[in-house]
Amino acid sequence: MSDIGSLKKRHDTSKRISDFKLHEHLSNNNKHSNSLVTKPSEVKKSPQPPLYNFDSIPITTSKLIQTAYETRGPNLDQQEGEDIDNDNDNGKNGNKSTLLPFFFIIIKLRFLSLAYNPSKTPLLINEDVNKLPKIPKRVSTILNYKPEEEENGGIDGLLNDGSEVVTWCLSSGINCLSIYEYNGILKKHIPELRRSIYKKLATYFGPDNIPNFSVKIPHLNLIYYGVEDYDIDENNQKKIDIEISLLSVIDGRQTIVDLTKIMADMAKNDEIKVEDIKIGFVDDELRELVGEEPDLLILFQPYIDLQGYPPWHIRLTEIYWEDDNDQVAYSVFYRALMKYSTCKVNVGK
Amino acid sequence: MVVSLIFHYLSLIPVFQYVVNFAQDFIIGILKTGPIPHHVAFVMDGNRRYAKNNTMALKEGHNAGAETLVKVLDFSYRLGIKAVTIYAFSIENFNRPKAEVDTLFELLKSKLVYISQSGEYADKHGIKIKIIGNKSMIPEEILKDLNKVEEKTAKNKTFLLNVCFPYTSRDDITNCIIKIVKKVKEEKTISIDEIDEDLLNEHMYFGNEYPNVDVLVRTSGHTRLSDFMLWQTNKDSVITFDNSLWPEFGFINYMNIILKYSYYKNLQLQQIKFKPKKSKNDTQIANNNIEELINNHPPYASVTGN
Repeated sequence: MSDIGSLKKRHDTSKRISDFKLHEHLSNNNKHSNSLVTKPSEVKKSPQPPLYNFDSIPITTSKLIQTAYETRGPNLDQQEGEDIDNDNDNGKNGNKSTLLPFFFIIIKLRFLSLAYNPSKTPLLINEDVNKLPKIPKRVSTILNYKPEEEENGGIDGLLNDGSEVVTWCLSSGINCLSIYEYNGILKKHIPELRRSIYKKLATYFGPDNIPNFSVKIPHLNLIYYGVEDYDIDENNQKKIDIEISLLSVIDGRQTIVDLTKIMADMAKNDEIKVEDIKIGFVDDELRELVGEEPDLLILFQPYIDLQGYPPWHIRLTEIYWEDDNDQVAYSVFYRALMKYSTCKVNVGK
Repeated sequence: MVVSLIFHYLSLIPVFQYVVNFAQDFIIGILKTGPIPHHVAFVMDGNRRYAKNNTMALKEGHNAGAETLVKVLDFSYRLGIKAVTIYAFSIENFNRPKAEVDTLFELLKSKLVYISQSGEYADKHGIKIKIIGNKSMIPEEILKDLNKVEEKTAKNKTFLLNVCFPYTSRDDITNCIIKIVKKVKEEKTISIDEIDEDLLNEHMYFGNEYPNVDVLVRTSGHTRLSDFMLWQTNKDSVITFDNSLWPEFGFINYMNIILKYSYYKNLQLQQIKFKPKKSKNDTQIANNNIEELINNHPPYASVTGN
C-alpha cells in the first residue's frame, strides 16, 4: 500500500515521468480557441467596445453583466446578522421553470459570451477582476468529458477547456486551481495537457512572457513543472505562478475508504491509538492526500451534480453554476467570481 | 406580498381551505405518477432574516420556521417520500449567543415531544423519529427527553424523520472511521479487507436504510453545503438552492423541486434504458471468424527444414 508512504513522508517532488509522444493534435488546438462566439444572428447587437485597445476601459460590457446578474440572482448583499434596508422582495423569486425564461436564459448566455469576449488579453480580465471587493484564494472546477462528435468535445475539447480556465485564473491573480474530471482522463494525458496549457498561455501572455505553471496529481503524488522536463534543481528554484491539481473520482469517497483502511492497519499494529483519531487528524491527512479546500467551485453544467467530488473538501465551498449552460465560457467564470465577492462567509453564526 | 395577504383573508372562509387542499392533492397526484425521491434533506436557513424583515422577535422567527417544518413534513408524507432529514442544529452553531442556543434547544424539544405524544401526529402517520448527531454535546435533561421521543416512535415503520441535532458532516465521517477502526482493533469483528464504501455507509449516523440523499434543499439562497451531508450528497443527488427564506417556503416551491427531481431522474432512467448492450453472441462469432481465418492457409515450408 503506497498510501502508507504518503502518510509518513511529505510530497516527493523529484519524481517525474518522461513520456513524450509526438502527436498531430497540437495543430488542432488553435481551431478550438474561438468556440465562445456562436450564432451571432440570434443575438441582439450592442455597441461593442474596441477589443484590442488597451487604453479604453470596457465599462459598457461589465455593467451589462452586473445588471443581468441583478435581474437573475438573489439579493445577496443582505446577509444574516446585518441590518441593511434593501428592497423587500428578497426571496420572492422562487424557482420558475417555464419555457420563456429558458429561451431568455439561452439568449442571455450567448449574448453575454459575445459581449464579454476577452479575446485573449489578460489585461482586460485583470481590470474586470479588480472591480470586485474580494476574490477566492483557491478555485476548483468540474469539467465534463463530452463525446467526440460534439463541438469542442473529446479529449481535445477537454484540454482546451482546462487550459482556458488556467489562463483565466492566472489573469485574475488566482494561483491555486484544481480541476476535477470524473474519469481522470486528464491524468492520463499529461504531456498533451502541459503542451496545451503552454500554448494557451503563449497566446494570452505572449511567447516571451509565459508564466510558470505546475501540474500536480495528488493521488499519484506527482508534480510536473512547465512544459518540458528540465533539470530538477533549476525548476525548483523558479517561482511557480499557478499550481494546477488534477482530481478524479478516486480522490473522493475512495480516498476516505483507503484512509480508514490505513488507520485500521496502524491501530492494529499499535502505531496510533483510537483516541487520537479526531476531526483535525483526519482533516490533515485528507488535505495532504487530496489538496486544500477550495473557496469556490465552478460547475460548467446546467445543474448541480457533484459527480463524486471529494466530499470532505466542499464543506464551506461556494458552489456556482449557471442554469442551462454547458459551455466553459469566460462569462460564467466572471459571474462566479462576482457572486463569490458578494457572499459573506460566517461559520455557524 | 399581496397574494399572501389575499390568501390569508380568504383562508378564513372554511370552504376555501377545502378547495386549497383539493388543489394540493390534485398536484400531488400528478407528481406521484413520476419518480418520487426516497430521501429528502432540508437545510432550514433564513429564520433570523425572516424575523428581521417582518420586525418580529427572533423567537417568533424560529416559531414560524417550526410551523413551516410541520407543513413541509405533511406535504412530504402525502407525496410518499419515505425519509426526511432536517438540519436542526449544527455543531458550529454552538458559537451563537447562549440565549439563542437555549431557545433553539427548548423549541426543538417541545416540538418533538408534542409530535411524538401517543395518539398525536407521529402515531397517526407512522413516523419514526431518529436523532442524528453527536449526542455527547447535548445537555443532560434535553438528551433524556429526546431519547424518550426516540423510544416512543421506534415502533413506527412507515416514514422516517431524521433530526440532525447537533450534526456536522465531518464529525459524522470521523465518527464512522473511529467506529470501524475500533471494530477492527478491539472487537475484531471486521477485517481490513472488508472495509469499503458500503461498510462506511452502514456506520454513518444515518444507518443503512437510506444511505443516499435524493434531494437536498437549502433555502435563503446561500449556495454552499455548510458541512451538511457531504458524504450522502456525493453521488446522484439533486441539490437545489431556493431563494425564499425558510418560513416562506411553501407548497409551490416544494412541488417545483420535486418536479425538477422527477425530470432529472427520468433522464437518467432513459439513458439506462437506451444504452446499447453488447450481446455475448456477437463477440463469440467474431472470435470464431478470426480463428478460421488464421487456420486457413497453405502448408508451411521453412528454409531450415524444421
